[in-house]
Amino acid sequence: MHKKGKMITDISVMIAGKAGDGVLFTGNVLAKILKRQGWEISTYRDFPSNIRGEPTNYTVRASLEKIYGRGDNIDVFMAFDCDAIFKHSKRVAEEGILLCDGEDFVVPPPSKSKAITYHRFPLRKLAIGNFGKEIFKNMIALGALCYILDLNFHVLEKIISEAFLKRKGEEVVRKNIQAIRLGCEQAKEIVAPEERHSLKRREDHERLFLSGDEAIAFGALAAGCRFFAAYPICPATEIWQWLAVYLPLFNGLVVQTEDELAALNMVLGASYAGARAMTSTSGPGGSLMMEGFGLAGMAEIPIVVVNVQRVGPSTGMPTKTEQADLNQWIYGSHGDFPRIVLSPGTVEECFEFIIKAFNLAEKYQCPVILLTEQDYGQGLRSAKKFDLSKVEIERGKLLSQEELINIKDFKRYEFTPDGVSTRALPGMKNGLHMVESNEHDERGYRDENPENRVRMMQKRMKKLKAASKDLIAPKIWGKRDAEIGIIGFGSTFGPIQEAVTQLEKNGIKAKYLQMRTLWPFPSKKVEEFIATCKKTFVVENNFSGQLSWLLKSQVRTPFEAMNILNYSSQAFRPQEISIQIQKAQ
Amino acid sequence: MRKDKDYHLTDPTWCKGCGIYGIFAALKKAAAALDLDPEQLVIVTGIGCHGRLNNYFRSYGFHALHGRTLPVASGVKLSNPNLSVLGISGDGDAYSIGLGHFIHSLRRNINITYLVVDNRIFALTQGQTSPTSEMDYVSVSTPYGSKELNLSGPQLALASGGSFIARGFSGNPTQLSALIEKGMKHKGFALIEVLSPCVTHNKVNTYQWFKKNIYNLDGDSNYNPRDKTYAWKKLSTEKKIPLGLIYVEKRPCYEDLVFRKEAEPIVFNDLRVDSLRLEKIMEKFK
Repeated sequence: MHKKGKMITDISVMIAGKAGDGVLFTGNVLAKILKRQGWEISTYRDFPSNIRGEPTNYTVRASLEKIYGRGDNIDVFMAFDCDAIFKHSKRVAEEGILLCDGEDFVVPPPSKSKAITYHRFPLRKLAIGNFGKEIFKNMIALGALCYILDLNFHVLEKIISEAFLKRKGEEVVRKNIQAIRLGCEQAKEIVAPEERHSLKRREDHERLFLSGDEAIAFGALAAGCRFFAAYPICPATEIWQWLAVYLPLFNGLVVQTEDELAALNMVLGASYAGARAMTSTSGPGGSLMMEGFGLAGMAEIPIVVVNVQRVGPSTGMPTKTEQADLNQWIYGSHGDFPRIVLSPGTVEECFEFIIKAFNLAEKYQCPVILLTEQDYGQGLRSAKKFDLSKVEIERGKLLSQEELINIKDFKRYEFTPDGVSTRALPGMKNGLHMVESNEHDERGYRDENPENRVRMMQKRMKKLKAASKDLIAPKIWGKRDAEIGIIGFGSTFGPIQEAVTQLEKNGIKAKYLQMRTLWPFPSKKVEEFIATCKKTFVVENNFSGQLSWLLKSQVRTPFEAMNILNYSSQAFRPQEISIQIQKAQ
Repeated sequence: MRKDKDYHLTDPTWCKGCGIYGIFAALKKAAAALDLDPEQLVIVTGIGCHGRLNNYFRSYGFHALHGRTLPVASGVKLSNPNLSVLGISGDGDAYSIGLGHFIHSLRRNINITYLVVDNRIFALTQGQTSPTSEMDYVSVSTPYGSKELNLSGPQLALASGGSFIARGFSGNPTQLSALIEKGMKHKGFALIEVLSPCVTHNKVNTYQWFKKNIYNLDGDSNYNPRDKTYAWKKLSTEKKIPLGLIYVEKRPCYEDLVFRKEAEPIVFNDLRVDSLRLEKIMEKFK
C-alpha cells in the first residue's frame, strides 16, 4: 500500500495511448527525472511496428534497489484513451491510481477487492483549449504525473530544456513548460493528496541511464571497433545510430549497406584487412547473414555480430521481445564451423561482453555473436558507471610487421596445437597468402584432399576447446543450498531474480543459473549446478524451449527439466515465473 | 620495374582455349605496367571459373562467396585505402546473385576496379543459362530456350552512376590490359566487362561469334566517352557490341567523402581511446 507518508521503494508507471501520441517521449522524460532523483530505472517498450495509430504503452519502473525488468503491477496508470484501460487495467495495483482521457470513460464503482482510484482527466481538451494543438497532451500528462509522484519541478524543467532548446528554441521550451504546469495544477484539483505516490528524492550525478543497444555501441567504440556496416532493422538500429555519430570522430567508418549480405561480407573484408569490425541486426537480417557467417568460420576471420532478438518467425513482431534466435546462431548456416555465442543479461553486461566479444574473435579467429533482446536492447536502464580501466584490447596471434618479416615460410592456416594460426594482413611484407571460402591447405590454397580436409576441420574446431577456458562462465545467484534451480539466459535475468525473492517470501528457496556463454556450451558448470538441484526449471521467451533442448543435448547426466515459457511477445513478469514454480511444489 | 612474371604464381589449369587465359595475361601485364607491389595488391574473386585466378596470380587473394566479391572488396579498401583492390566476378556472380551489390557499388564509387568475366553462361556448374544469355538460348537449364531478356551490365552501370565503364574482349588482351591499367588509375569504381568465350559449354558465343559482333570505340575520334547521352545511345540502340572505354566521369570517390584528408587508414589507427575522452562521452548517458 502506497499511502501518503508511507515509504515507497518500488513503483511502476504505465503511459498508454496510440502510436503518435508521444508516449515514448513522455515516458523517457519521466524516467530521466526519476533517475536524476536517485532512483534505479528500468523501462519497458511495448510498441507496435508502425508510426501512427496503433495502441502503444510504455512502462517506467523506479526502485530504490537495482532492477532489471518490468515488475508485476502498475501503480500509476496514465491512459490517453479507453483502449489502454481495457487491455491493462487488471494489472493496476492495490491502492493504484488510474487517469484516463477517454471520451466514453466512466469511473467504475468502488470495488471491494481493490482500492483503486479512477479519474477522468481531459488531456486532449486541455491541450486544444490552451495551446491549440493536441500534441501538448503529453506534456500535460507529464505535469499531472509530476504532481502525483511529487517530482522535482526544476529537474523536469532542465530535462525539457535539454530536449528542446537547441533543436527547437526557447519558445517551444516555454510552451512545453507551461503545459506541464497546467497539467500539474489540473491534477491538484482532481487528485486528492492521499492518492499521491510521493517519491523520496535523492541527488544523483553518478549513474548512467542508457539502453542495451547504446551500451553495446559505446562498448564497441571502447573496444577499438572502427568499422561498422549494417542494414536498418528493428530493434538493433540504435546501435548503428550511436556509432554513426561517434565512429567518424575516431577515424572510423559506418556504412549503410544494400542488405545484410553486403553488411556481413563488408565486415569480413574490413576485418581481413585488419580493422576491428562489427555488424548488428535482428533475426530476419541474421537469416541473410548466415551465408557470410559460415565464411567467417571457414576463413577464420574475426568478426562480431550483435543480434538483438525480436519476435519471429518471418517478419514476426519487429518491435517486441523474444528469445527464439538461439538456435539460429548456435546451429545456423550450412556445415560445421566454430562460433562463440555470448548472452548478456543486463545493460552493464552488454558493455562488458561486447569488449570481450572483440577479444575472443581475434584470439580464436572466429565469428562471435552477442545475442541480446529487444527488452533491454531498447529499454532504458539506470546503470553504474562503466569501469573503463578494465577495458583490455587483446589481438591474439596477429603478427606485427617485424615478427612477420622474420618468418621463413609464412602459413596463414598453419596447423598448431590450439588450432589458432598466426595472422598477417594484406599490405604486409612477407605475408602473401590466400583466403579461401573453399576448403584449403595451410597456405590458404584450395585443397580437396580428404586427409587435409580432416586435419583442417579438426584444426578449426579445436579452437573452441582452447576458447572454453577463456569464456564468460555461468553465474549462480541465490542461496547455494536451495534445491530448486532455475536456468535462463539474457533478459530473463531481472524477472528470475525477482521471482526468487518472491518464492523466498513464500518459504521456497531457489537459486538461479545465469547462462552467459551459450556456445561453446559450458557443460561441466551446468552439470554441477543441476546436480545440486532436486528440481530444475528452464525459463525462456520462446515456444519450443530452445535453451532446454540445448541443455538436454549438452548435459551428460540425466535430469528432468520443467520449461516455463512465454512466447506472447512480452517480457516475463516475475509472478509468471514464481507462481508456476510454486504450483509445481 | 616489375615484369609480368612477378605476378605469375603457377600455370593455370582452365580449359584449353578458355577466354580467362587472355584476362590472366592482360591482368599481369597491367599490374606490371603500373608496377604494383604484389604485397600491396588484393584480388577478391567470386564463385565461378574466374574464381580460380587467385590460385595462379601472385598477390594477396580472397576467394569470396558466390556474388559477394564487391562487399568484401569494399570492406578491404575502406579499411585500408593504401591497398590496390581489384574485384573479379563472372556474369552469374555480378549480374545474377550479386546484382544488388553491383548497383550499389556503382553508386558508392569506392576506388576499386571490377572485372566482370562474361561468358554468357554458368560454366562451372556445367553450362546453365545466365542473365547475359540471349533470348531463346538453349542450355541444360533452358532446354526449350530461355524466355527472359538478357541484361546489359554496362547499361545498368550507366544508369547506376558508374564513373568508369569499359568493355574488353579476352581475344584482345592488349586492349584489355590498357583498359585495366586505365581502370586502376581511375579514382572511383571502375567497371570493366570482359567478353570471354567458354569453349567447353557455350557453342553459340564463340571467339568467331564475338569477333563478328563487336566493334571498337577506342580509336573512334567521333566518340566522346564523357558524353553520357551518347554512351547510352551506343549501349542501347546498336545491335553490335561496343568495346573500349564507354563512359568516364570525374566524381569524388567514397573514401574522399567519408574520411578526413589527413586521416590514417582505419587499420593503422590506435585502437585504444584516451580514457578521459571516453569518460566525457559516457557523461552523455545521464
